Amino acid sequence: MSSTAVEEYLSPPSSPNRTNHQKKRKTRRSSGNSMMSYDRRNPKYVPPWTTPYIIGVGGPSGSGKTSVASKIVSMINVPWTVLISLDNFYKPLTAEESERAFKSEYDFDEPAAIDLDLAYKCISSLKEGKKTDIPIYSFVNHNRVPGKTIPIYGASVVILEGIYGLYDEKLLNLMDIKIYVDADLDVCLARRLSRDIVSRGRDLHGCIDQWERFVKPNAVKYVKPTMKNADAIIPSMGENTIAVTLLVDHIKSRLDLKSEKHIMELNRLCEISSGHKYITFASNPKVIELEQTHQVKAILTMIVDKDCDRDSFVFFVDRFAMILLSKALDNVPVHKQESLTTASNYHIQNALRCNFDRITSVSLIRSGDCFMKSVRKTIPNITIGKLLIQSDSLTGEPQLHGEFLPKDIAKFQNLLVLQGQVITGTSTLMAIQVLLDYGVKLEHMTLVVFLATEIGLKRIINAFGNKIAIIVGKIIMNQDMKESHMKWASSRFIDTKYFGCK
Amino acid sequence: MSTEPYKNVSLLPQTNQLVGLYSIIRDKGTARPDFIFYSDRIIRLLVEEGLNHLPVEKKDVLTHTGENFDGVGFLGKICGVSIVRAGESMEQGLRDCCRSVRIGKILIQRDEETALPKLFYEKLPEDIADRYVFLLDPMLATGGSAIMATDVLIKRGVKPERIFFLNLICSKEGIDNYHAAFPEVRIVTGALDKGLNEQKYLVPGLGDFGDRYYCI
Repeated sequence: MSSTAVEEYLSPPSSPNRTNHQKKRKTRRSSGNSMMSYDRRNPKYVPPWTTPYIIGVGGPSGSGKTSVASKIVSMINVPWTVLISLDNFYKPLTAEESERAFKSEYDFDEPAAIDLDLAYKCISSLKEGKKTDIPIYSFVNHNRVPGKTIPIYGASVVILEGIYGLYDEKLLNLMDIKIYVDADLDVCLARRLSRDIVSRGRDLHGCIDQWERFVKPNAVKYVKPTMKNADAIIPSMGENTIAVTLLVDHIKSRLDLKSEKHIMELNRLCEISSGHKYITFASNPKVIELEQTHQVKAILTMIVDKDCDRDSFVFFVDRFAMILLSKALDNVPVHKQESLTTASNYHIQNALRCNFDRITSVSLIRSGDCFMKSVRKTIPNITIGKLLIQSDSLTGEPQLHGEFLPKDIAKFQNLLVLQGQVITGTSTLMAIQVLLDYGVKLEHMTLVVFLATEIGLKRIINAFGNKIAIIVGKIIMNQDMKESHMKWASSRFIDTKYFGCK
Repeated sequence: MSTEPYKNVSLLPQTNQLVGLYSIIRDKGTARPDFIFYSDRIIRLLVEEGLNHLPVEKKDVLTHTGENFDGVGFLGKICGVSIVRAGESMEQGLRDCCRSVRIGKILIQRDEETALPKLFYEKLPEDIADRYVFLLDPMLATGGSAIMATDVLIKRGVKPERIFFLNLICSKEGIDNYHAAFPEVRIVTGALDKGLNEQKYLVPGLGDFGDRYYCI
C-alpha cells in the first residue's frame, strides 16, 4: 500500500502547477460538427471544466502506476491537471478492525477496503464541473482526517490512480481513457521490498508476510483481471517512454478538441449577439450605464487621454470607481428599524438600515483591483475575493488560474463582481460561471465595470439571461467602434496604466 | 439622478443606500468613528453632485490608439469656503474630488451682547471673484450664519449663481430664509427634514454635527 495521498499536482489553486504556462498548442485540428449540438434559442456558456478528461490508472502494487501517472502529468503539461490516489478513499476502520490493522492482520489490499462508492461520487462530481472535496485518509488513525479535505475545482484533466483504478464498473464508465500498468509480480515484490524497507523502515519479515498473506493473493484474484478493462496496457519495467508518448499524444489531441469547442461556444454567444436585436439593453433594466453627467464625461476624457500623467490617471480612476460603487450600492440590502432615536432625541419610525455586512465582493485580477481603494473607502471591512483568469495568448481562450473566494460566499445577498473593462466578455463569462459553481445566485451578482463594449455585454446577457445586474461607466456600442474611432475601447488599458506595468 | 424639490435646490436621489447612511449618522447610538466615516460618505456624494453643476468645455484628446476622442474638460476655477467649525468637516470630501482646491474659511459666532451672528474671521482666496465657490456647512437650520457667510462672498465679488451651498440636512424654513436673501445660490443637500423645534434645531436632525464629528 502506498501512502502517497493526493499528489501535489492536486492543486489548491495556488500550487505552482496551476500557474505554469502550458506550452502553446501549435496545431489546431479541425473538428467535425457532430459533437456540437446547439440549442439555438437557449445559448449557454459552457466552461471547459464541466467535462474534465478523466484518466484511470490501475495495476498491481509496486507495478509503477505512480511513476506512469506522473510522467503523463508532466508530459501533457496542462495547468489544471489533478492526480488523485485511490488511497484517499480507504474506509474508516472500526475499533476492532483498527486493532487488527495494527497487528498487520487487516487486509488493506482487497477491493472492499476502499470506499469505491465515495470515489465514484467525487469523480462524477468533478465530471460535472462542481467544486469537489476529496477526503484525506490518515494511516495512523485508520480514519478520514476529520474536517480536512482537499478541495478541487476547475480541473481539466483528472488522473485517478490506484490498484483498483480499473475495478469498479461505475468508475470505469466515467473514464475517458483507462490505462493498466503491468509488471510481473516478482518485480512488484522486489520494488515493494526496496520501497518499504529502504524508504519506510519496515522489517523484511513483516513485508514478506504481508505480501504472502494479502498483497499477492489479491493481486492475482482481483487486480490482474482488471487488465481486460484497459484501453492500453503499459509495461512498467525498462523503457516505456514510447508507450507513454503515444498515450500522451492521444490525450493531447482530445484536449485540443475540448478547447476548440470552448472557443466555438464563446464565438457562438458573440454571433448571436451581433445578429442584432437578440437582446437589447433597453429591455433590460438591470444593465445600468452611469448617467453621462459633466463630471463622468470629464473623468472619462482624462482616462482615455494618452497624455494624462499617471498621478492624475490614478486619481480619476479612483474617483470613477467611487461613483460606480456608490451607484452599485444603491440597492444595498436593507431592513427596517422600528424606532430610531436621533442624537437630538427625536424618534424616527421604521428607519431604513443598510446591511452592508451582507455584501461581499470579488475582484478579477488585475483590472478589478483598480477598485480596491474605493471599495475600502465605501465598505471598509468588506470581504474581497479574487479570481485570476488569463487569456491564452494564442487562441484567446480564457483560463482560470486561481480562485480565492470568501467563505460562505453563497450566503451573501449581494456580490459585487469588479472588473476594469469588459471587452470580449469571455473572462467575465468564466468568472460568473465560477461564482455560480460556488453556489452564488445570478440575481445576487452585480457586475461593476468602468468600460464595456456592447458585444461583450451582450455575450454575458446571452449566456446568463438578464438576472445579473450590470453597472457600467460607459457602454461603447458596436457602431461607434466602427464609425467613431473608438477602437481604444477594444484594448485593455485601464489596469495597465493604473498599475504602471505592461 | 438628483431631484429639484424647490427652485435652485438639488436633493440627492433618496435611494435605500442614502437613507440608510442618514439613519447611521442620525442614530444617537452611533459612535464617532462610524459617524465620521458615514458622514464622509454622504459628503462625497454631495460634492460629486455639486461638481456636476459646473460647466464644462469641449476638449479633444488623443487616445493611446491614436484616435481622436471628443471629450469635455473642467471649465473655470473653483474653491471651497467652509464655515468654521462644522463646515471644515466637509473639506476633505471636496479635496478627495479636487486635489489641490483652495479652501477659504469663515468664522461666525453668536455675539454675546446682541445674540446675533457676528463675523469673527475670514480668509479667502485673493481671486475668489473669478471662482465657483462651494460653501460648506453641514446643517441648514435657520440659515443665519450661511446668509452672513454668503454675504461676505458676494461682497468679495463672487456671483451668486456661482455659489453652491452644500449641506447634509436642511429644512424648508432654512431654504426659504436663505433663498429670500440669495435666490440664485444653488443649495445641494441630501436630506430635507420636517422643520425646526423651539430651540431652532432641525427635527429629527442628528444633534450638533461639529460636536459629533470632532469631540464627543
